[in-house]
Amino acid sequence: MMSNEPVSASGTASVATGLDAEALARLTELDPKGENKLLERVLRAFQTSTARLMPQLEMARLANDRATVRLVAHTLKSSSASIGALELSQICAQVEAAIRAESADDLEPLLQSLRHTLEAALSAIQRLLDGRP
Amino acid sequence: MNADSSADDLPGQPRVLLVDDDEVNLLLTSIALRERGFAITEATSGELALAALAGGLPDVVVLDALMPGLDGFETCRELRVLPGCESLPVLMLTGLDDDASITRAYEAGATDFFVKSTQWSLLAGRLRYLLRAARVRAELERSKSRLARAQDLARMGSFDWKRGMGGPVFSVEGLRVFGLSPNDTLAFRPLLRMLPPDDRSGLIAVLHEVIRHSTVLATDVPATLRDGRQRIVHVEAEPEFNEHGNLVGYSGIVQDVTDRRLAEDKIRHLANFDTLTGLPNRRQLIWRAERALEHGRRLNHQVALLLIDLDRFKIINDTLGHGAGDELLMEVARRLRSCVRHSDQVMESTIESMGSRSHRTLEAVGRLGGDEFVALLPEVVDERDAERVAQRILDLMREPIFVGGQECFVTASVGIALFPRDGTSVADLMRNSDVAMYSVKSAGRNSASLYRPALAGQGREKLELESALHKAIERDELVLYYQPKIDVRGAKMVGAEALMRWRRNGVLVAPGDFIPLAEETGLIVPLSEWAIREAARQARIWQDNFGFADSIAVNLPSRLFERTDLVEYIHNAVTTYGVPHHAIELEITETGLMKDLQNVIPSLHRLNEIGVEISIDDFGTGYSSLAYLTALPISELKIDRSFIRDLGMTPQSSAVVTAIIALARSLGLRVVAEGVENLRQMEVLHRLGCGVMQGFLFSKPQPPEDIETWLQQTILPRKAPWIGKADEADMAEVLRFPDVRDPRAKPLG
Repeated sequence: MMSNEPVSASGTASVATGLDAEALARLTELDPKGENKLLERVLRAFQTSTARLMPQLEMARLANDRATVRLVAHTLKSSSASIGALELSQICAQVEAAIRAESADDLEPLLQSLRHTLEAALSAIQRLLDGRP
Repeated sequence: MNADSSADDLPGQPRVLLVDDDEVNLLLTSIALRERGFAITEATSGELALAALAGGLPDVVVLDALMPGLDGFETCRELRVLPGCESLPVLMLTGLDDDASITRAYEAGATDFFVKSTQWSLLAGRLRYLLRAARVRAELERSKSRLARAQDLARMGSFDWKRGMGGPVFSVEGLRVFGLSPNDTLAFRPLLRMLPPDDRSGLIAVLHEVIRHSTVLATDVPATLRDGRQRIVHVEAEPEFNEHGNLVGYSGIVQDVTDRRLAEDKIRHLANFDTLTGLPNRRQLIWRAERALEHGRRLNHQVALLLIDLDRFKIINDTLGHGAGDELLMEVARRLRSCVRHSDQVMESTIESMGSRSHRTLEAVGRLGGDEFVALLPEVVDERDAERVAQRILDLMREPIFVGGQECFVTASVGIALFPRDGTSVADLMRNSDVAMYSVKSAGRNSASLYRPALAGQGREKLELESALHKAIERDELVLYYQPKIDVRGAKMVGAEALMRWRRNGVLVAPGDFIPLAEETGLIVPLSEWAIREAARQARIWQDNFGFADSIAVNLPSRLFERTDLVEYIHNAVTTYGVPHHAIELEITETGLMKDLQNVIPSLHRLNEIGVEISIDDFGTGYSSLAYLTALPISELKIDRSFIRDLGMTPQSSAVVTAIIALARSLGLRVVAEGVENLRQMEVLHRLGCGVMQGFLFSKPQPPEDIETWLQQTILPRKAPWIGKADEADMAEVLRFPDVRDPRAKPLG
């Protein structure tokens, strides 16, 4: 699954990928010639990060540990924004806000949509990393 | 602003510790910052951040506020207590909508906050600002602590006083000067209470004066600190004015100058007091004397100056060593102090403020140097006052002084000069007391004398004489005259006595006119050394000219016998001219010998060993213990001329001469009669058993070449009236005084 070709968001970064083209362009700006494989490193970091965060989220949800749920959502909020997973970032912000507001609402619907959106973002990332459209 | 150029004024690559649990954000931020010239260390949690800090400090910490485990706030709080992190800049990253976090960030000790953003150049700019601020702050801290340290070292602190705003406000260092801790305050009244009561009103007066004229304040105040320490605090302050030119207060420094003051006092003391005796030194004495004369002039009273010179101190110093000499001087100083109302504590400042009787405090004994002391009596009614003090000094000297394990007797000669009678300047009084002191010395020492103008002439004459005598040797003005010693029976010269003459400006100065001065000044030593060499030279000339093989007698003062190098000196002198040691005979007077017997004896033995014979001059005038004579390595006694003069006129004189001849014979010594002027004396002496004589009857002292002429024209042709007379006397008297015959005389028959 590793590609030796530098991952590039140019042109391919579209709505189809599920990632925001503008955000991806900003990332590409940081490493215009792709010398540092920046985009690839960032996307992989996101993968690693979510692989660590999601189990934490599930455990906290089962334990009804809203503080941890909030922290995970907070972290995921900014990192997903960084890679252009704007919908995911939006959902994370809602989770965070709901917990901060000490809302008595059930978080489950929100979390469910968080999982789905994350799933979509991750497969978009994988496609990008594999160099597939 | 260009990021790169702004990085130039920061030291190297700023090191950033980046802490974020969000790996994506951590990666992005660190890439963005690296690109902008920062060196990044990453940490994904607060715990890891603290661990990284323990390994080395960055220039700035960027801390995500919300993290699992130790969050940003807690991390910041813990970070602040790490060593070196008290003022480490910490930038807290918060969410845009998170006001609570911003407040908490500051509470946790963050330096600043920054809303998370992907606008990296904003973050970089903020970091640079933080770094610059931190550096400025560090420099301020450094210079502040440097200043504090400098002030601490200088025991200095600052204060401000604002008019109408209460008392002075002291810096921490300023408080320390007064022995107070940083938390103390020092109001004006408690400060005043630290001062001795007299100084309080003084300081208040000074402050009033300074404030009234808006002038600079500079004063020293003695303060007693809370712990009882006595310090001297220097206060210096400059007035401050507002824009209207009105005085609004003072700002200045306080400094503990106690040590400096002590050092100054010490220096002043060293400059004014003799280190050995602790008495005022010459400089201080002259200063005191000048003040005393000023007072005397103003108040119209007399001042006395007593010059005290120890008698024969040099002998003590030479024989017992300088250590003992110093001990003796200290004891003398102690005794002298007790003779006057001595006060050590006279300084320029005090004398002014003490009113009309202040000159009393000038009274003192001081040491001019060596064994010379001065007593200054700032007010005497008449000369009897001064004489009483002089007598007290002489009396106190009478007690023996123990030095070097030995009892010493020291006497002094005191010369007194009075202002204004004997001089109106310190220099005049010094000189004239010196003249008076010398008159005591020449009159036999151990006494006091008032200056009299008649003494002055002598003094000056003597001074000229002394300086001329100094130059006499190098100018070749000294000559030796010789008087033959005659064996009257054989009518031949058996030796000669060398007598020194000084040809000064073509006039011959008699020995009595310069030898005493030479002895007094110590010039006798070079003079005598010259005489020894000259006599050796003459012995060689005579040896060559007419086979002279006898001795030339040189008179030496007893002090020369104390010189350990005398033997060597004589040896060198005779060797130089190639004559035997016995070519030189030394004459020492009986009084001289007895005075310094213990010191002279070793020398006599060594001289005797190398063949230099010793003759006792003026024998019969001293108080010789006859027992000593048996132990001394001497060869000859010379009967004092006073007995010879009276010979045949008073029975006592012939009794003394008889006794001396008998003694000499029993000790196996030669006996020589001096000052034989007529035939009758010669006949009597010969009859009494003395066959060797000296005197005008035979020859007066003459230059060496005249002696040769005399030998050729008088002795060889046997043309003198005395020649042949001895034999007749011998024949007539020998039967009457068989026991006192000259051992050299021919046996009867």
